[in-house]
Amino acid sequence: MDTTSFLIQQLINAIFLGSIFSLIALGYTMVYGIIQLINFAHGEMFTAGSFAGLIVLMGLQKVGFVDSHFILSMVLVFGLGMAYVAVLGVSIEQVAYKPLRNASRLAAILSALGMSIFLSNGMMLSQGVSDRGFPPVFGWDGFRIMDAKISYGQVFIIILAFALMYSLWIFVTSTKLGKAMRATAQNKPMARMLGINVDKTIRVTFMIGPGLGAAAGIMVGLYYGSVRFDMGFIYMIKAFAAAILGGIGSIPGAMLGGMIIGFVEVAWSAFLPSEWKDVTTFVVMILVLYLKPSGLLGQSATEDKV
Amino acid sequence: MKKLGIFVLCIAVIACFSGMATAKTLKIGTMSPLTGPYAQDGTYILQGVKTAVKVFEASGGLPGFDKIEILPEDSACDGGKATMAANKLINSNVSAIIGCYCSSATLPSSIPVNEAGIVMLTPASTNEKITERGFKNFFRLPPRDDVQGWSAVKFMENALKAKTVALIDDRQTYTVGLVDNIKKFAKETGQLEFVAHEHITPGDKDFTAILTSLKRLNPDIIYMAIYQPEGSLMSRQVKQLEITATLVTEDACFQPKFIEVGGEATEGIYLTFAAPVADNPVRSSFVKSYSKDWSVGENEIGSFSFFAYDATMIVLNGIKNGGVKNLAETIRSTKSLGATGEIEFNEKGDRALAHAVWIVKDGAFVPYYNPVTDKMY
Repeated sequence: MDTTSFLIQQLINAIFLGSIFSLIALGYTMVYGIIQLINFAHGEMFTAGSFAGLIVLMGLQKVGFVDSHFILSMVLVFGLGMAYVAVLGVSIEQVAYKPLRNASRLAAILSALGMSIFLSNGMMLSQGVSDRGFPPVFGWDGFRIMDAKISYGQVFIIILAFALMYSLWIFVTSTKLGKAMRATAQNKPMARMLGINVDKTIRVTFMIGPGLGAAAGIMVGLYYGSVRFDMGFIYMIKAFAAAILGGIGSIPGAMLGGMIIGFVEVAWSAFLPSEWKDVTTFVVMILVLYLKPSGLLGQSATEDKV
Repeated sequence: MKKLGIFVLCIAVIACFSGMATAKTLKIGTMSPLTGPYAQDGTYILQGVKTAVKVFEASGGLPGFDKIEILPEDSACDGGKATMAANKLINSNVSAIIGCYCSSATLPSSIPVNEAGIVMLTPASTNEKITERGFKNFFRLPPRDDVQGWSAVKFMENALKAKTVALIDDRQTYTVGLVDNIKKFAKETGQLEFVAHEHITPGDKDFTAILTSLKRLNPDIIYMAIYQPEGSLMSRQVKQLEITATLVTEDACFQPKFIEVGGEATEGIYLTFAAPVADNPVRSSFVKSYSKDWSVGENEIGSFSFFAYDATMIVLNGIKNGGVKNLAETIRSTKSLGATGEIEFNEKGDRALAHAVWIVKDGAFVPYYNPVTDKMY
């Protein structure tokens, strides 16, 4: 394997990893942007999405639908998985966060932590403690750029991740609801005075954020081939770092932050001793915060603009 | 109310169950990871112990005791948690402890147990240091890692005729100890050259960056000193990246889950594990009772369930024959036949077991090479 193909291969590894982190980080940043809450239960939504996708996929495979209608079954797997987690996200918001909206910030964060533990244990009891294998739907086929191997599964997932991020961007910048979302994030009382239904906007945010997390969960399951009840934790930490790095509350910031974390991880394992890989993620985050405390694309003190 | 209803609906999939009972009893503690990444292996061990107690009670039970109670503790593959669990079991006056799974948990937690004069048997921890500390009350069922390292080196040198090896470990006591053994035994002939030594983090899913680097080095063998969850995923990524190196791994991957999750990517992978045991009545009756108790297929039994079953039987028979007080001496001086073959402990508390190299063939582990005789099976 020559150096060019090596670099191409690592570049693809990095884009793949980065797009997963970006999708999860978006959920953090959107929720933070709108109600200034770090949603610690987000990692569990990611895992729940993966399980929901697996259940749908197994069901479809049992009746032989995956082989005959591949694209349609992928639409069903992602659609139903994301829909389930969107409903879960809204109900968590109603049960655990809404009653605390006027309480101190700390109370809501503790509620989020409690929700995270509750969901994680719930999945452990209902889905078992061990890995569950995903059926290998993509096979091993792929194509080559020089000596670098890219599987069709990777291509599918990268395209889907970018499509989701692009649609989110269009939604936030060009639709009425997206505009309402941005207005609510900027100034809740003012948005309410202008006739925006703030509660509805927050509910929509809690559908989209966890929904994207669920999509990432299904992608991880499909590509790596297994899910376990506690797998959200390591992704949560890294995506959280990505959201902070990009500037929490900023949607393009989360996309950029996720990509940076993906690239840093891959570059470090590729060129430097791999035992320090996890440290670097956070060293990069600390460095960025030291130089630009609001994150790369974040705005400082968004909540005090009255 | 409606909103609460939706929420309850969302979590309706969750079911809780637990069972406990008390009576005038003999208490046996178990320590194995019941949460975290190795919870599957921990559950295999606990199930092995439970089956053993059930079988023992069905065949007459223990004279002088109404009931045998199992106190399961979670060691979570963590030295601190395991030591806490050990102290808890000591305070509950257990007569013996079966555990732990990870060497990193067994190493520290066996210290207070030994000091308290309680017999402890590990059904899974293979790091050789564990039995090198002169503990009088400690016994080990599976073969040690110096045997495992030696067997792996013999296999790579003689059977695979390899020259270059890339090592991967996950920085835990067991894996690091095993890799050290491999390096030590490889020095004797100097045939193997270690071209890379990479490290992963337990819980990671993506190893493509490391594997791509290894692909460029193009070693004859990639030796994976990692546990099953990462092992299955790494096998898949090796296949996906079309790496031609032969994969060799060890006993922590030797369980049905490895093949179940890894799928066809695990086909042709070599593993070191205790040498195959000739079928005996104890083994076949264990396989029958276990698969009935836990409703699994006869070839889906976790590898360490066998050792856990034997460990429990040794304890129960030891108490039956010599009482709780002399348990350690009774165990040391008794020979018996178990599901894992002839059981006899030496001064250190180890068995004289050999390793074999197994291969994954058509979705099952098949014996492949005998490093002691240097012959194929």
